[in-house]
Amino acid sequence: MSRMKKIGLGVLIVLTGIQFIKPASNENGQALPSDISTTISIPSNVQLILQTACYDCHSNNTNYPWYASIQPMGWLLNNHIKDGKKELNFSEFGSYSLRRQLSKLKSIASQVKDDEMPLASYTMLHRKARLTKEQKALITDWAQNTKDNLEQIKP
Amino acid sequence: MKTLIMIAVAAISFSACNNNDNQPNETTATSGDTAKTGMQSATTVTNSNMAINNMVKAYLELKNALANDNSKDAATAGSEMQKAVENADPATFSADQKKIFADVKDDAIEHAEHIAANASNIAHQREHFETLSKDLYDMVKVFGTGQTLYQTHCPMYNNNKGANWLSETKDIKNPYLGAKMSTCGEVKEELKQRP
Repeated sequence: MSRMKKIGLGVLIVLTGIQFIKPASNENGQALPSDISTTISIPSNVQLILQTACYDCHSNNTNYPWYASIQPMGWLLNNHIKDGKKELNFSEFGSYSLRRQLSKLKSIASQVKDDEMPLASYTMLHRKARLTKEQKALITDWAQNTKDNLEQIKP
Repeated sequence: MKTLIMIAVAAISFSACNNNDNQPNETTATSGDTAKTGMQSATTVTNSNMAINNMVKAYLELKNALANDNSKDAATAGSEMQKAVENADPATFSADQKKIFADVKDDAIEHAEHIAANASNIAHQREHFETLSKDLYDMVKVFGTGQTLYQTHCPMYNNNKGANWLSETKDIKNPYLGAKMSTCGEVKEELKQRP
């Protein structure tokens, strides 16, 4: 066997092997009692943007693309989701302390306004997650107003 | 055979690298001061005066680094702050202290963590510093302070929305605007050293 063939075979074996190591999928189905929608009112147009542009990494329900079942892509996605949920998880938002909810709303507004979120690497492959100027304004206004309202009821 | 193994290793390390893609940042930000406070971080702090003093100390370092536009020192102080909050053990705190600490803890840790991880983004550090300042102010109100502090207000920060910070001096040295607007701000409240 030539050197090239050996290398090719090696790559094939490794690629096949890693397909069997699958991360647990982030799909919960039903809404948890701690879901943001149970405590905070979200207009349907805002909800739609959150779902298409944020929930893949910031909730317990990822809408997986086809390549997620191919490794190592699946591992990469899994890590992004893990990091994303650690920062902000809309499915658990209601269980955050009021102080943390306020911090998160502030960060949502500033991250979207500064074009830090959604991540460029994500919108590259998810065209629907590319936010127009109007969509960005919808999100930042909603987050800001919700924060202002919550602050008023804060003891 | 050797090449086979090398490819296998390369493939695995490729994915392993990506798994940790945002960790080196945090490690570099914290590694510098681990040695300095290594002794401290091993022990938990149950004395409430000591706990708040540690937080105030780290916070003031952070505040002064931001006032000097030094994002690297701010990152170091941010991880000090994180440790100060994490090491505080509320076991012997009073009921009021426990309550405010439970409310603030996760939030404050997260802000400190982000400040530590953003050594190259001072604007982002300042965003987190703003909320961290509120967290610490609320705690000092309940815990008291080992040194007199001044709640100071800058009306210009964040498109004239304004923001507060705690300072150890009456002299204004603005941590939000840095050198470019160093003296903007006024003292709103004096938080006297506990007797």
